[in-house]
Amino acid sequence: MEEDRLWKFRKPVWLNSAWARSAGVYSAGALFSLAFYILMDAAVWSKSPLNGSNVHVTFVDWLPLIFSSLGMLIINSVEKARLSADSFSYSGSGVAWKARVVLFLGFAALAGGMAGGVTVFVLKFVVPEVEWPMLGMGVENVVANALVMLSSVVLWVSQNMEDEYSYNLSL
Amino acid sequence: MPAAGLKTIIALSFVLAIGFLLVILSCALYKVYYPLLVVATYVIAPVPNWIAGRVSNPDDFVESAGGSGVLDLGRFCTGFLFVMGIALPAVLAHSNLINIAAMVMSIIGGLLIYGTIVSFGMFFQEEQEF
Repeated sequence: MEEDRLWKFRKPVWLNSAWARSAGVYSAGALFSLAFYILMDAAVWSKSPLNGSNVHVTFVDWLPLIFSSLGMLIINSVEKARLSADSFSYSGSGVAWKARVVLFLGFAALAGGMAGGVTVFVLKFVVPEVEWPMLGMGVENVVANALVMLSSVVLWVSQNMEDEYSYNLSL
Repeated sequence: MPAAGLKTIIALSFVLAIGFLLVILSCALYKVYYPLLVVATYVIAPVPNWIAGRVSNPDDFVESAGGSGVLDLGRFCTGFLFVMGIALPAVLAHSNLINIAAMVMSIIGGLLIYGTIVSFGMFFQEEQEF
């Protein structure tokens, strides 16, 4: 395991503990919740009396978050061990290939959600030159999608920790 | 666990009562009863973790295919619900549905309630884990 290390810096030891792993999963859930409630805040604020303008959060604003969450669901549902074609027993019937296709779809949905958030922000808020307190709804859309992306990164990393952890256990 | 005696129970119930007091005060002082949702959130927050712990078989944790995924899902949902308890009053306060003071009180009260539930689970779980 030590010989086929790729990077110059080794991972810190505490990163491999079961404690760090479950903390990573908890914080991924927390980040996803933060993303959802930031967009929810935009939607609630848009219908509240504080919003004096004609700009409202509609289904179009929710669509990027839906795509991001779908991508996150797909990415983190794939079994990571099937990705490496090195183990021939798993990749014999083309499982690794299928896993890569599904993973590509997931990443495409995630990136598409992020791009959609920026698109909604630009087309609905920046181009019509919406003033600041209303502009916040668009900013919250971008921030929500970025947080979903961050959450799926955290979840991915902490799921990869698990492999090392169970490897250490089975030795 | 021998450390969890009568004093722990008394302290925990005291903290729980203070938490409920803060949440109910944040509702009743302003006659807006939205912050009661925080209590419901924090009461169901440990439930996904508990269900996932029951569903996954603890015997096959080296064969990490099925059980660990369910455990992760439970942890993810618990983290989601935990932040929901903080984010819900913040969303309500940002849209002027509740007061800022009510938001602060319901967040602190909710954290006290959740802390009580978690520490109760930690102190009084049965010694079956290995």
